[in-house]
Amino acid sequence: MRFVRDYLIPRVLQYLLVIFCGITAVFFIPRLAGQNPILEVIAQIQSQGASLDPTAVKSLMETLQELYGLKGSLFEQYLTTWRRILTLDFGPSFFQFPTPVSQLLRIYLPWTIGLFVTSTFLSWFLGNVVGVVAGYFSEKSWSKILDAIVMVIRPVPHYILGVVLLILFAYVWQFFPAGGLMLGRRTVFNLQFILTILRYSFLPALTLTILGGVAWFQQMKLLVQSVKREDFVQYACVGGIKEKTIVTRYVLRNAMLPQVTQLALALGQVFSGVLIVEMVFSYPGMGLLLYRAVTRGDYNLVMGITVLSIITIATAVLILDLLYPLLDPRIRHR
Amino acid sequence: MKNRWIIGLGILSLFLLATLSAFAQLPGGIPREETLIAAQLTGRVGTPSNFNEWSGWRWQDRGTQQLVHEPLWTVDYASGEIIPGLAAEMPIYNEDFTQMTIKLRQGISWNDGVPFTADDVIFTIELNARTPGLLYHGPMAEFVKGVSKVDDYTVVVELKKPNSRFHTDFLDRWGCLRIMPKHVFEKVEDPVTFEFNPPVGCGPYKLADYDPAGFWTLWERRSDWEKSPTGMLYGEPKPKYVLVQVFETEEAKIIAQLRHELDATDYTIEALRAVLDRGETVRAWSREWPWVEYLHPCITGIVFNNMVAPYNLREVRWALLLAIDIVEYMSIANDLIGAVSPIHLPWVRTYMEPLFSPMEEWLKEFTIDLGDGEVFRPYDPEVPFRLAQAAKKRGYPVPEDPAKIRELFGMGWWKYAPEVAEKLLVKNGFKRGADGRWLLPDGTLWKINILTFVNPSHPPYRNAMALAEVWRKFGIDCTTTSSEAAESMHLLGQFEVGTSWPAREPWGVSMDLYRTFSLWHSRLLTPVGQPVVAGSGASARWSNPELDAIVEKMELLNPFVDVEELRQLNIEALKIVAQEMPTIPTFTYPSALAWDEYYWTNWPGAENPYSQPYHHWPNFKYMLPRLQSRK
Repeated sequence: MRFVRDYLIPRVLQYLLVIFCGITAVFFIPRLAGQNPILEVIAQIQSQGASLDPTAVKSLMETLQELYGLKGSLFEQYLTTWRRILTLDFGPSFFQFPTPVSQLLRIYLPWTIGLFVTSTFLSWFLGNVVGVVAGYFSEKSWSKILDAIVMVIRPVPHYILGVVLLILFAYVWQFFPAGGLMLGRRTVFNLQFILTILRYSFLPALTLTILGGVAWFQQMKLLVQSVKREDFVQYACVGGIKEKTIVTRYVLRNAMLPQVTQLALALGQVFSGVLIVEMVFSYPGMGLLLYRAVTRGDYNLVMGITVLSIITIATAVLILDLLYPLLDPRIRHR
Repeated sequence: MKNRWIIGLGILSLFLLATLSAFAQLPGGIPREETLIAAQLTGRVGTPSNFNEWSGWRWQDRGTQQLVHEPLWTVDYASGEIIPGLAAEMPIYNEDFTQMTIKLRQGISWNDGVPFTADDVIFTIELNARTPGLLYHGPMAEFVKGVSKVDDYTVVVELKKPNSRFHTDFLDRWGCLRIMPKHVFEKVEDPVTFEFNPPVGCGPYKLADYDPAGFWTLWERRSDWEKSPTGMLYGEPKPKYVLVQVFETEEAKIIAQLRHELDATDYTIEALRAVLDRGETVRAWSREWPWVEYLHPCITGIVFNNMVAPYNLREVRWALLLAIDIVEYMSIANDLIGAVSPIHLPWVRTYMEPLFSPMEEWLKEFTIDLGDGEVFRPYDPEVPFRLAQAAKKRGYPVPEDPAKIRELFGMGWWKYAPEVAEKLLVKNGFKRGADGRWLLPDGTLWKINILTFVNPSHPPYRNAMALAEVWRKFGIDCTTTSSEAAESMHLLGQFEVGTSWPAREPWGVSMDLYRTFSLWHSRLLTPVGQPVVAGSGASARWSNPELDAIVEKMELLNPFVDVEELRQLNIEALKIVAQEMPTIPTFTYPSALAWDEYYWTNWPGAENPYSQPYHHWPNFKYMLPRLQSRK
């Protein structure tokens, strides 16, 4: 009972407050940013010098205001937004009108999940495994060389690494396509389909895995080096416990805790996608979708993507908070 | 054992990647040698399944406007003429412009085999007039009293009030009211939400496939292409398939073109140089320096918000102009590539003789009053030669022929006269501070924030960077703001100086510049905070009673008949705008086009500009029959 009162209820209330504040901020910020979604659409139509006379523009502005649901005061729009969110209907995308936001999310989310989740897990796993070993044997020369290589790779921006991989593997050695998934609209699950997806997704996944992996590696290596110096590890060594047991049960288990938290938070970013990598490889994902929504003042689409993001991250943090006592006996004890 | 475990895990991860990604299949069976691949200008299609461009923005350069739709008339700025497509000839107006007759081409059919007739034109106009959700509802509802047919190939539109430019709503220049297939739309309950998939048009291609994520659209030549106006006018389009594909970055386009996976695209000037360096079969519009296309009828430059002080003062605007060293400006903006223009018109062939030549005589005599009886002649015909000299210094192979130099660098521009600019500012109460920087008449530091767009390769951005540099040199505290909201802010008047378009693009054909000047008529003037409805140029929020009178005279002239009268009025209008300088024109839009000649040749380059050269313009379909296959 004390757990519910002192631990569970405050965290659930905090969770709901975070979601409420997040959604409220997402409602107001785009409206204060200067973009007018109606003017953006009209500007796009006229951008190449199309003939759209002033009468057409005037009538169009009125029509779009009606269709987009932008009539009424800001407070009325705010209430409408909450009504929509509670029924999980984010309305139509303005710039991609009349396509519903939910349909756009259905199209793009699987692509981002496929690329982002896979590369995040891969980089997390490889980075941590290699990081533990390199951290534990940090005095060895191979560990120092590895550390130096990682230090060179780590600051490389996603864009640069993506372009380098593209030039190497799509131009110099033409193993992979230059970008743009050439897939049709029929849903057929066969070997050719899998190979095609693999060919098109390989370079973007490799970019993310390399840059994500080196970051996890460095964090893990430092954690392991720090844990290794703890008294209980030294005591275990002196006590003659096998090295393998010390690494896995003493060092790794303690060093893993912050990495698990980081992984959960990193996975929550799936909804904002991996914009730069998506751009370099013309990969269909949430990053580009969100970027275009922000730049075009597409309030509904921004709301749809960020609401999912807020709820996912807040939920991940809540679950972690609730699970932590199980993972960490020190918290359980408190 | 351990190795096997790692390999197994790797394979499993890749499989996971595959299964989690997406669900579709290759179009397959499309022979590359029969396919032309073009890059899409406007980026990924946001409404991939929706082809109904009558009810909103649908990324029409995915191929619908270039390959499927056939408008009544299309602008071709390369020849300077209007091409009648569905129409058989130019529109015929009655004396007082209350009636327009359209003669239609016979023997055309839609790509589903149904014949095209006057009924389709009547249906389109009537549907748009009565449906508020359609893009062209405004002008159709305002002007159309009735529409009827004389026979199956003659349509008469009765107008509620005189309109000598009613046909321009149907004149395609990257968009217009295109004719709808009556047999499709008459069965539709709501024409606004109808997706129009597959699209039915009178153009020579039909939809073959598209990417649900909006990255590409594939089009196939109609088997009855000879029943399209394109087929009738120019013959069989050579590529059997056209793939319009999105490339998100310049690097992706370069790599694709070097791999012969992209035939037609436009680049930044820097990317064009890179691809020309590496690609043996890649060519630009011009095979020699400066490579870029010189036909595009669009002028770039600087926009003042004429409703904000001190930019509401003509002499301040002139002072700011004379503080620009155009040679330095062009060096910064475009590495000296592009033709300058002193007037609010692009330096393109259609306008050189009839408009630029008479204007130059006037410009040479034009003076501005500096006070105390002192006058100054600001026009400098030597600018192209100074630009050529600067380009030569940079090592570019600049031609020696003066005529060629003028063709490449423009007719002339305004003198760099900082001492005159200083006099004009002092005359208006400005003064320099102790540190040499300019102060406003109230004694506070004069700060100019130049509003521009975010794309560094786009002329507005380049204009902004060059402008900030030259004005700083003159002593003005100048900064730039690149904003994604720049378009909205220009239209709403939330800026002082910006680099949106200084004048509306002219048609690029004929002597009719009503489209350019009418936007500055006082009836369209909008206060700051309310959006201008007239598009680029109008965000200057400026008008002039003399220009109003000229625009009203233009409205009473027939653009197809009263050509000489219109030309005279254009010259008068250009003089007024030059004298007042509400915006500053700088250089004509330089387009960095590139074509790969690996699969297709006979592109409309500088040596043979038989068509406007863009693959994303509606006229692309007229180019396709004249291409030649190399494989």
